Amino acid sequence: MPSAVQEAAIEEQTGPAEPRPTSRTLRYLTLAVTALLLLGVGWTAATLTTGRTPGETSAEAGFARDMSRHHAQAVEMAMVAYAKGQDPAIRQLGYDIALTQQAQIGHMQRWLQEWNLLPTGSRPAMEWMPDGVGVDASGLMPGMATREEITQLHEAQGAEVDQLVIRLMIKHHLGGIHMVDGVLKVSDRPEVVRMAEAMKAAQQKEINELRKLQQAGG
Amino acid sequence: MSISTPGGPQRRPTVVSTGKKPAAGRPAAGAKAASDKPATPQRSGGGGKGPRKPIAPVKVSQGRSWGPIALFVAVGVLATSIIGYGAWAAIKGSQSWQDKAADIQGIVNFRQTDPESISNQEHRAGKQEYKQSPPVGGPHNNTWQRCLGDVYDAPIANEHALHSLEHGAVWLTYRPDLPAADVEKLASVIRGNDFMLMSPYEGLDSAVSIQAWGYQLKVDSADDPRIKEFATVLAQNASMEPGVPCSSGNYTTGTGTEPRELQPSMGG
Repeated sequence: MPSAVQEAAIEEQTGPAEPRPTSRTLRYLTLAVTALLLLGVGWTAATLTTGRTPGETSAEAGFARDMSRHHAQAVEMAMVAYAKGQDPAIRQLGYDIALTQQAQIGHMQRWLQEWNLLPTGSRPAMEWMPDGVGVDASGLMPGMATREEITQLHEAQGAEVDQLVIRLMIKHHLGGIHMVDGVLKVSDRPEVVRMAEAMKAAQQKEINELRKLQQAGG
Repeated sequence: MSISTPGGPQRRPTVVSTGKKPAAGRPAAGAKAASDKPATPQRSGGGGKGPRKPIAPVKVSQGRSWGPIALFVAVGVLATSIIGYGAWAAIKGSQSWQDKAADIQGIVNFRQTDPESISNQEHRAGKQEYKQSPPVGGPHNNTWQRCLGDVYDAPIANEHALHSLEHGAVWLTYRPDLPAADVEKLASVIRGNDFMLMSPYEGLDSAVSIQAWGYQLKVDSADDPRIKEFATVLAQNASMEPGVPCSSGNYTTGTGTEPRELQPSMGG
């Protein structure tokens, strides 16, 4: 033990004087740089986490984009119902569905703008809902009518319009509710939850109405 | 280097290298003792072991401790890249669609270069003359062409498609003699996407031309990644009437490039 003390003492004497301040400065510098970097990491983490909005591949973004497209087809069908429906109840329902869903498209597009996302996603449709019914072979989301069915609706006349509207819209709404359930399962964004719940309630109510009209019309 | 500075443990090798075999914990204790007694250097003389004096381990102690340095560098690089990514993400995330569009190489922005040629948004019946081919702005028919990701396999009228562009659609046109495989590649960009439509176009001066209101990009290959980039960035964003639909309108190709108006209830 005394020898260790001696060694230290020797070192004190013989150790060159210059390296001492340089290495001390280096050490302080390193500490300062480390502190600065830590601050930077903290700032980055803070900006990336606080007030974080749904990202490009989030369920919310997928829902907003896919439901916009889903709604767009409902609007087209509802406008035919409004323009050509035989039963005034069908025309009234068409008016209601078209305006409501077009407005909801506007809401969902506004979310995407606020989240700094493009209206068009980089991921395939329905990917955000992995355990849901995906798109079919022709890329249609749950409940959507084929192009041929839409054309058939456009070309229909008389009572056939009402029957087609009822059949296609019930199927469309059921698919829509399936997607709403998908986003409600995973999202806690207040604006998304509120809108999704409203969509579900309205479409469920409209399905009941359409079924009543279906029974009345035979 | 003073022993009393922080980082004592790094210095341990110095002490260990004296050749003595102190217990592991000892050197530190000894070192502390030494720092307390800088005023008694005579003790070294007291030892009487002259030849031991020039022992060199001091040199060893001055060698860089590469371990900690490497660690600091690694941490530094990691931290810098995290910060860099954060900054990049923040800037990229807040980039407007106009900036994203400007970043697409070869894109022509007529809103800047020739705003007058596209300023007229009037509804006019019948055939119209356009400065650009395919048109990217100007008067058009009352009826738009449906643009819910519609892939038309025959030519459509400029006067309808242009109305779709006004609504925010991106219109992908290709030379009719393009191989079927190429046409399918293009269709995969458009199909199923709102505010997009596609059709063959006679007399096109490039293999593919994609346009939005006031914007156009002409490329020579269906594989060009800029096609999808253009479609993704400009669809809906380039709308002159934000919020208007792509649904309904004219959904057939029956009349070729000859425009035709629909029943009032069907579009307009």
